[in-house]
Amino acid sequence: MAELPVLIGLLLATAAGTAAALSREPVHQALVLSVLGLALALLFTLLQAPDVALSQLAVGTVLTPLMVLLSVRKVRRRPREESPADGRGEEG
Amino acid sequence: MNKAVRLWVLGVGCAGVAVLFAGAFRRLPEFGGSHHPYGARAVAAALHRHTANVVSSVNFDQRSFDTLGEQAILFGAVLGTVVVLRQAKDERRVPPEPAVVAPTVRGYALVSLPLTLLVGLYVVAHGQLSPGGGFQGGLVVATALHLLYVAVDYRALERLRPVPVFALADAFGDAAYLLLGLAVLVAGASFLGNVLPLGTFNTLASGGIVPLLNAAIGIEVAAAAVVLLAQFLDQALELVPRDGEHR
Amino acid sequence: MNGWLAAACLLLVLGLGPALCGAVVGPVRSRLLAQNVATVLAALVLLLASPGYDRPAYLDTALVLAVLGPAGTLVYERLLAEDLPRGTPWPGLARGASWASVAVVPPVVVPVCFAVAPGRTTVKVLVIGALLVAGSAVCGRALAKAPRTAAGEGSGG
Repeated sequence: MAELPVLIGLLLATAAGTAAALSREPVHQALVLSVLGLALALLFTLLQAPDVALSQLAVGTVLTPLMVLLSVRKVRRRPREESPADGRGEEG
Repeated sequence: MNKAVRLWVLGVGCAGVAVLFAGAFRRLPEFGGSHHPYGARAVAAALHRHTANVVSSVNFDQRSFDTLGEQAILFGAVLGTVVVLRQAKDERRVPPEPAVVAPTVRGYALVSLPLTLLVGLYVVAHGQLSPGGGFQGGLVVATALHLLYVAVDYRALERLRPVPVFALADAFGDAAYLLLGLAVLVAGASFLGNVLPLGTFNTLASGGIVPLLNAAIGIEVAAAAVVLLAQFLDQALELVPRDGEHR
Repeated sequence: MNGWLAAACLLLVLGLGPALCGAVVGPVRSRLLAQNVATVLAALVLLLASPGYDRPAYLDTALVLAVLGPAGTLVYERLLAEDLPRGTPWPGLARGASWASVAVVPPVVVPVCFAVAPGRTTVKVLVIGALLVAGSAVCGRALAKAPRTAAGEGSGG
């Protein structure tokens, strides 16, 4: 009974990880990975490792999604548009 | 090899792994026992050096040499990214378009920016007392800066964030760590040894060299993350192929 | 296993489980709303872990998530602006979940305030609560207001 939080955390992380591995589309996967990151941070805290949890939160909440989504945007841009006639870049 | 054969091979492999795993699992020691030879010594050493956060003590005092290697890895990774993502000959730089941002989002992000910065600096400064330290706090500081991108647009962020300055700060943080270690060596102790006064337990001025190394790592990680994101942002928002070159 | 940890388990099972399901199915808009809900609930579980394990240090984890979580959701909302217009199949459910996640913050924050040491720690817990409410509300509102028609013309996003 005392291990119940850890067990639930483990199940959540497993489910999120499996869902992330089974995602096909990069954008969907990025969102599921975000939830996986949260589940992992919770698991680390429930296992009494707050420093590791802080590292996971610091990396996985903003930095990783930003890098993934910027890469997706860069890769998607080519088929979608001609080179811009007025010389402007992407909406920043 | 068609799909059915492949699945059979996978099945056999999985069955073998399952048998071995179950067998090994039965012989595993209990999770979280009471006998921790290394842990007991690490905690005792941390308390002896007046550092409340044992993890920080291990990272920046007992195993500070390993942290020197880790920060070199981060520096190398960012350097590699800069080399790969820099503006190539067949790319040109265009100004990014301004973005339309809802006023609630803009207000929230602009208020959250100094708050996040404070939280990041707090996490770095209290590395020897509570969970956190230079690495985690540095990343929070870098994220705080990029809230300006969320609040306004990339042009505003570029004004706030001259990349050469941050690249210099990255190198400076790295060098500071190394120079601190060398300074201790010159002073007569071992490389990165903890020779500074240890201070009072559980106050900001405790742990000897740990707060200083924390600060160096904090600067290095924050600057490295900013430079790293700058490469991605530039590639996605500013660099386009030169006219006539379609990939 | 005390009351705090029991409450944390409840939040995990009844809150984060459905949030994970919401992040796995559906169009981008509802997935992002689910991610927003997951962030708030995760911060609340971290907040409950502090009196649960009697470690004031865990509040720092909740503070960092309260500050970075909404920032992450806003980053998604900004960079996925083209994907959002494809609407939610269950708009009522998505918005209801969003506001429920804001409503569950005070019932968790107030008892924790009384459970921790008085003084700076209480202020820290209150700041975490305020950040969660503000961040979650802003993100939920921004997602609800995102354009519902596909952007077929105009600027690149």
